[in-house]
Amino acid sequence: MSQTDPVDATDEMNRTAGQTISTTDGETAEETRSEWVDYDTGGKTKLAVKDLDVHYSDDHALKDVSMDIPEQSVTALIGPSGCGKSTFLRCLNRMNDRIRSASINGTVELDGEDIYQDGIDLVELRKRVGMVFQSPNPFPKSIRANVSYGPRKHGDIETGLLARLTGRADPESEEELVKRSLERAALWEEVSDRLEDNALGLSGGQQQRLCIARCLAVDPEIILMDEPASALDPIATSKIEDLIEDLAQDYTVVVVTHSMQQAARVSDQTAVFLTGGELVEYDNTEKIFEDPESQRVEDYISGKFG
Amino acid sequence: MSRATETALVREGRSSYEGAAATAIGLSGVVFAVGLGTLVDVLKITPPAAGVQLSTAMGIALLSLGVGVIGFGLASRLGYVDTRPQPSAGIVAAVAFTCVWFAIGALVAGAIGLGTVSWMAVGLVAGAVAFAVTAFPREDIGSTLPAGSVAVLGGVALATGVIGPGWEWVLVSYNATLFGDTAVPVVVMFASLLTGWAAAKAYGGFGARGRNVGAYVLIYLIVLSILSVLVGLVAFVVVKGLPGLFHGFSIGGEQVISWPFLTNGASLLADVAGVFPALVGTVWLVIGAVLFAVPTGVGAAVFLSEYAEQGRFTQVVEVATNGLWSTPSIVFGLFGAAFLIPRFGNNKSLIAGMLTLGFMLLPLVLITSREAILAVPDEYRDASAALGVSKWKTIRSVVLPAAVPGITTGVILGVGRIAGETAPILLTTGGGVLPGKSAAPSVLGGFQVSASPPFVTNPSLLEATSALPYQLYALITAGLSGNIEAPQQFAWGLALTLLLVVLVFYAIGIATRYYFRKKLHQ
Ligand SMILES: Nc1ncnc2c1ncn2[C@@H]1O[C@H](COP(=O)(O)OP(=O)(O)OP(=O)(O)O)[C@@H](O)[C@H]1O
Ligand SMILES: [Mg+2]
Repeated sequence: MSQTDPVDATDEMNRTAGQTISTTDGETAEETRSEWVDYDTGGKTKLAVKDLDVHYSDDHALKDVSMDIPEQSVTALIGPSGCGKSTFLRCLNRMNDRIRSASINGTVELDGEDIYQDGIDLVELRKRVGMVFQSPNPFPKSIRANVSYGPRKHGDIETGLLARLTGRADPESEEELVKRSLERAALWEEVSDRLEDNALGLSGGQQQRLCIARCLAVDPEIILMDEPASALDPIATSKIEDLIEDLAQDYTVVVVTHSMQQAARVSDQTAVFLTGGELVEYDNTEKIFEDPESQRVEDYISGKFG
Repeated sequence: MSRATETALVREGRSSYEGAAATAIGLSGVVFAVGLGTLVDVLKITPPAAGVQLSTAMGIALLSLGVGVIGFGLASRLGYVDTRPQPSAGIVAAVAFTCVWFAIGALVAGAIGLGTVSWMAVGLVAGAVAFAVTAFPREDIGSTLPAGSVAVLGGVALATGVIGPGWEWVLVSYNATLFGDTAVPVVVMFASLLTGWAAAKAYGGFGARGRNVGAYVLIYLIVLSILSVLVGLVAFVVVKGLPGLFHGFSIGGEQVISWPFLTNGASLLADVAGVFPALVGTVWLVIGAVLFAVPTGVGAAVFLSEYAEQGRFTQVVEVATNGLWSTPSIVFGLFGAAFLIPRFGNNKSLIAGMLTLGFMLLPLVLITSREAILAVPDEYRDASAALGVSKWKTIRSVVLPAAVPGITTGVILGVGRIAGETAPILLTTGGGVLPGKSAAPSVLGGFQVSASPPFVTNPSLLEATSALPYQLYALITAGLSGNIEAPQQFAWGLALTLLLVVLVFYAIGIATRYYFRKKLHQ
């Protein structure tokens, strides 16, 4: 790694040309520096990612990413399309294991315990690390059944025949849970009178919020959100942003977003990924948006490329 | 030419042309339907109606349709109407008309009695002319002239009686004779199909819109004929079977409904012979086979699509199941006779039949369940996994419910096949030709508890039983005779009963599928 100054001559030239700053051989002209991603979060580290590499077959999707995600805070992941944000997110609850072509190297420690070591109980892990997908994927079941699905399957609320016969069924707690989850996801008012309707009949934005409610119902410690507001109008978006800030009181939230404003508004720290799957800069959100170290990050944020 | 006139959405000055074309389409449809009617014997061509022989009348109709269609083409070509023909009718139409005219030329030459070489030559010339006429002129001529000419030729042949009721053609090399009452409807249907298509193109003003309307009319007429063949088939069995099925049927009296054909056996004492034992046998055979095949088939499908590594192994299993499904039923029957019967008391039995039919049903249930499970979107599995739900719970509560409609479709298809199977039943289940009522298996009442293993026994499962298709087969091989009055009527009633039993199973399956579809989607 050469120690070129970021604002050297080539860089100046490229900036005046207003173009991406990679040379023809694919090498980035600007240096990425390890100290730019070496952000000391201050708080207690919830997730410690170390030297994470992801390949899809021969495609190197994530390159040597290391970052610490602090507890009870919001971490935003931003970057151009295809730079590996969803890939990174999926590594945090090992959903990438489900993609056959994916091979993952490196470690991710949850409360100091490597989730990639042998003998990890994936079911238990995913109960603790919840996820809201980029595209809404409700089950073809009623709205109520969608929300209560997780707790039911975990046996937290019992609704089966046996439970009813033995008096262990607790329809009120289910009702309560469904209501609370939908309220937090800003969906309750729209669907409270049609909880038995099929969730596939909801609009795209409503489905997105339903998936958030479904995730909240399981009560995970960490919530991974992949563009949770991509199909929402400004009002619902601001409700979801309020929710994210609110969640950070108790949960650790990692959120992927394409909206700089959203990242600036809700997050405590921001990680910028750039094309090629590298984490270029990770810092306090204010610092990233006001005075980024990397020229490429500044260009990306100010809309010059990406 | 300004763009506005070029792409005007409403074309003017065509209403009478369109009206004529629509009339021609309608007439073609009527002529086609009449031709279909004569083919399936609903209408007869022989007795003259209102002084005119039906075939002559249809000939005149075809002739006028042909002339009309050619007229549409000419009117468009000469610019009397505003149409949008493309430069050529296209290669598909050209090849089709080449084949049609090759066949017509060859047939006509052959009918006149020319030798092999010359009928070939005549056919080739006719085909070549048709190709040229279709492919080279503009679309309005290319798609009307060859079609109209077919109708004109057919019309002339019918109207002049060259082909008519008394006509026959001995096909020496096939050892068969073609009669007028087959040839007339075939000519009529074929020619009216072509005129309907060509008139529809003219109605649409040729071009893209014309092709659209043409295809629509063509498909509509063909579907009509397929449907009517199906309906005709069922109607045939129903009409023949009703007298037998409702023999002695009465409503009211002591039993409210008395339906001796379904509730009696065929004993000498019964005044109306019935099919009760065979009916009960078939129902139990199907239930047994489904109870055996559905859990095992669905279970295997779950394993193959959710747990097994997709690769060589699953491919081999897939090929093997496909092969099993196409295995002839007599082979399954032999397997049952050689393998199952020795294990169930060494005589033909209901349970041996159930299992044999179950083995037959298994591959289809497996194939369709596997398809249905693979068709469940991975998003559901991912969503469930991300909520921390184990694989098995996911399969049970998300994957299988979403796959149920597909699985049910497979079971419906399979039941239709096994309910009508004769060979395996012949070899494994047996039963008499005309069993009395007491021969009916009473499976539910047959369970007996005993003190020694296997603790529960059911002798009726181990007895030979009749079944509807088997009884029909046995009746026919016995020369439709026996200790019953009107065996012919009895046999048709039996066939209708079998059809109804299959329909009832279908209805159950379709209702199940409807219920689950509705649950999944609304
Ligand atoms: N299942 C997969 N199989 C193969 N390659 C994949 C798969 N998922 C992602 N990739 C590749 O990995 C790279 C990163 O994809 P990823 O989905 O993580 O991008 P992203 O940053 O989330 O983009 P977006 O903002 O558009 O969602 C892309 O080049 C993509 O082609
Ligand atoms: Mg993404």
